[in-house]
Amino acid sequence: MPSDFIIIGLYLALMFTAGIFFSRNIKSTADYFLAARSAPWFWIMGAVWATNIGFLHGYLAHGGAAYEWGLIQANFEWFQGPFGYVLTGLFFIAFYWRAGIFTVPHFLETRYGSGIRVIYSIGWLIFFIITIAAELYLGGMFLKNILHIPFWPTVFVLTAVVGTYTLLGGLGAAIMMEFVQFVIMMVGTMPLVFILLNMVGGFEGLKDVLLTQWNISPQYFSVLPDNHHPYGPGPWIILGQCFVVTIGWCAGHQSMVQRNLGARSLYDSKLGYVVAGLPKTLGAFLYIVPMVAAPIIFAQRGIFVEKADAAYGKLILNLLPAGMLGLFIAGLVSAGLSSISGVLNSSSTIVIKDIYERFIVKGKADHHYFVAGRVATFGIIVASLLLVSIVAKSPLIMWLEQTLLAILLGPFMAILILAIFWRRTNTPGSLIGYLVGSAFAIYYQQVLGQRVFFKISWWSFVVALAVTVVASLLTKRPKPEKVEGLTWESDFHARVGEITEQRAVNNGTKVTEMPEIKVTIPPWYLNLKYWATGILLAQLALLFFFG
Amino acid sequence: MEEKKGADPKIIVAVQMTSIGVILIILGLTVFVLSILTMAGTAPTDNAWTPYIRMCSVISNGGITILGIAFAIGGVARFKRAKKQE
Repeated sequence: MPSDFIIIGLYLALMFTAGIFFSRNIKSTADYFLAARSAPWFWIMGAVWATNIGFLHGYLAHGGAAYEWGLIQANFEWFQGPFGYVLTGLFFIAFYWRAGIFTVPHFLETRYGSGIRVIYSIGWLIFFIITIAAELYLGGMFLKNILHIPFWPTVFVLTAVVGTYTLLGGLGAAIMMEFVQFVIMMVGTMPLVFILLNMVGGFEGLKDVLLTQWNISPQYFSVLPDNHHPYGPGPWIILGQCFVVTIGWCAGHQSMVQRNLGARSLYDSKLGYVVAGLPKTLGAFLYIVPMVAAPIIFAQRGIFVEKADAAYGKLILNLLPAGMLGLFIAGLVSAGLSSISGVLNSSSTIVIKDIYERFIVKGKADHHYFVAGRVATFGIIVASLLLVSIVAKSPLIMWLEQTLLAILLGPFMAILILAIFWRRTNTPGSLIGYLVGSAFAIYYQQVLGQRVFFKISWWSFVVALAVTVVASLLTKRPKPEKVEGLTWESDFHARVGEITEQRAVNNGTKVTEMPEIKVTIPPWYLNLKYWATGILLAQLALLFFFG
Repeated sequence: MEEKKGADPKIIVAVQMTSIGVILIILGLTVFVLSILTMAGTAPTDNAWTPYIRMCSVISNGGITILGIAFAIGGVARFKRAKKQE
């Protein structure tokens, strides 16, 4: 319908214009990469959630998996909430702030040395470029199927919009757009769950039709199915998903962490991450629960769905009137753009801060790195565009993405936990542990043929943890000044200035780049502990009802 | 080496809030107007459900517009406060 085209066109034009408008305020690398450390907690909450939800990890792929496998797909939404966001916000973010870093690899270098920084940076960079290409491909295909517009021009328009506001406006523009996208997704696409549940007679009606009339297995409605479930065995969801993948994703994914480093204070950063657990939980009602109900609607209307990924698009196309359909498509495009902008900005930060400034061109003026950041953003856009056609044709790319994630998250969690909670962990121990854990992940997947991603992540985490401990004990204890302020037992607040100076000497972090860490006393309704407890209780209630 | 100093973070946040408000208002109102204009047109769903779906649409558009207004007002208020403190 023309009205839907008008809404989508208007939405893209608004994003494009606002991005150009905000590029005027960007004058330094701290502005460009960390949004001048000005973002309040609600910006962080919206941006963290919107970055995490895309075509790939959201409406299309997760929604498609829910259509195929049922409510089990909600474990991403109902576990990542408490275990990822809340625990990262409570326990890990403060250490990133104390280290005065721009990137997660920078933290690893501050604690362990440059070797681990290089390996980790390159791994994430490859993963990010593949992610951008996959998001562009899925977005192009979605709009092509639903609006019948050509694939490549659509991909170029999406790239031009997201590329412009991220390239010119940096993290500040990206966070701002992500908040708009958060509102459009949350408010604009939420009505679908109410419409669908009303149509099928509520959740009980849905269960009745699928379990009694269609004789579908009760596991279709279980968030934690038994150990024999082919898609996600329950015990491994708890071990691999809760304790390794989700926390590793939240604490190790540069684009998630970078939004938190752009906060105006440490408290805003922590609160933003913890409160993001709430929209994460609600995400299941945007694209999981509707897709669990979708088979009934398709059967009633005689609609055939050839690929699970296309199910969400077919559902809204056949259900919603003009105008509302346009808003839904804008919501889905929002998901894609927010995810791409997050990853794009983080990729350029890694290229400049972890590779270019650290190893290639050192000691130049800040403006040099700021311009280089924009050039890097442009280069990553071009590289991702070139990869789109390969992603479309080759299963190898998706295999590489999965393998990289297994290599990155399990061993990373091991060395991150040891970095913070065990002062004795040292540089050789962490490097050997990380490499052995990564090698084990590849061996387990490629040679032993393990396909359950959670199992690979869990066992690579265990192997990396054990090897790091043994190798650290066999080698020299780290110098106290190197780990000061970075471990759990450090008396950071008493010695903040001294530690800052020491950090500047140790790893070259400029003193001007260190964030100011203030002790903030919030009003009761912004109390971190209340929010964390409330969100964890909400998760437990959901698991009790749907477990 | 001296670094260029960016704008006051408080003003940045105020301008961002106002802009977000304006974007949401424009989008919410446009969808609302277009939905009314196309109401006589075909809806691909059963007639029985059309009024309910339209009501959901109005609620979500209204929600986006109200949030937009709240952000715009909040942004302007923050901007004035930040300018006063300068």
